[in-house]
Amino acid sequence: MHDPSHEPDPDCLELFKKLSAYIDGESDPGTCEKIETHAARCIKCSICLETLKQTVAFCKSLPDEPVPDDFSKRLGTVFAHLIKSRSG
Amino acid sequence: MDFKASNKRWRQDPGRQKRMRPKKEKKEDMDPDAPLIEAINGGGMDLFPELVRRYEQKLYNFGFRMCNNAQDAEDLVQETFMNIFKSLNNFRFESKFTNWMYKIAARVCLKKRRKKTVADEQNLSLEDLAARFRNQAPEETPKWARQPIDRVLDSELAEIIKRTVALLPPRYRVVLVLRDMEELTTQETAQVLGISTANVKVRLHRARLLLRDKLQGYMAHA
Ligand SMILES: [Zn+2]
Repeated sequence: MHDPSHEPDPDCLELFKKLSAYIDGESDPGTCEKIETHAARCIKCSICLETLKQTVAFCKSLPDEPVPDDFSKRLGTVFAHLIKSRSG
Repeated sequence: MDFKASNKRWRQDPGRQKRMRPKKEKKEDMDPDAPLIEAINGGGMDLFPELVRRYEQKLYNFGFRMCNNAQDAEDLVQETFMNIFKSLNNFRFESKFTNWMYKIAARVCLKKRRKKTVADEQNLSLEDLAARFRNQAPEETPKWARQPIDRVLDSELAEIIKRTVALLPPRYRVVLVLRDMEELTTQETAQVLGISTANVKVRLHRARLLLRDKLQGYMAHA
């Protein structure tokens, strides 16, 4: 862990920039290894990674917003009219 | 706790890998919507409502995530289908139909831009965001980030997330919604928005960091 009163380790900033790619499985094995080794000894980066991972997981887990029934019906009517006016 | 081992396990988890693996688009794969679209364009205009039924849920969800408002989401769905109705006969399968659909929807949505956003955060550099995180970071991984999703993601938190996402600057928001909510690939998102894949990645990272910081602030006071 680094002394928080000091400027961040340049490694931290480097890693910070790559976290999303790591989470998305888009990092090469060398970068993954580097990130995992660094996060294991740097608590700030570990927290940064875990909270970001969870943020992404939240986004992917939000339930769909159901289309309101009346809107779906209205939409059907709108296009039924349009089609009729085009073909008629 | 061995963070290195746990991250490695997380990264190599087969279930996760399956979810994360980029969908490979093989050229010979036919667009699943091709038969319907060809039928509509071949004179079967009365089949158009079938296309509406097929995608109204997806578009409504996209609109809702972008605006966090039912009325705006309905407007977006209707306007997008109107545009599709008018120009479907010009669609030549240069991309998947759904990517073309999202392209129209994104254009409709970004044109509106009525809501206020956290404009001052638009230009924060990654260095600024890193420094801000360091200054505000808790002493240990907070509980909300350690618990299983279904234990922590209740309806109240879901509301907070939706509200916060809708306030992100539009060019970041649209990338986050397409990638992390509609689950398009990086390539598909780039195609939909007409930007490079590198740009998609940069915007996505920034959007996630902004959202994370807001959630962090909310959870710290909850
Ligand atoms: Zn670090």
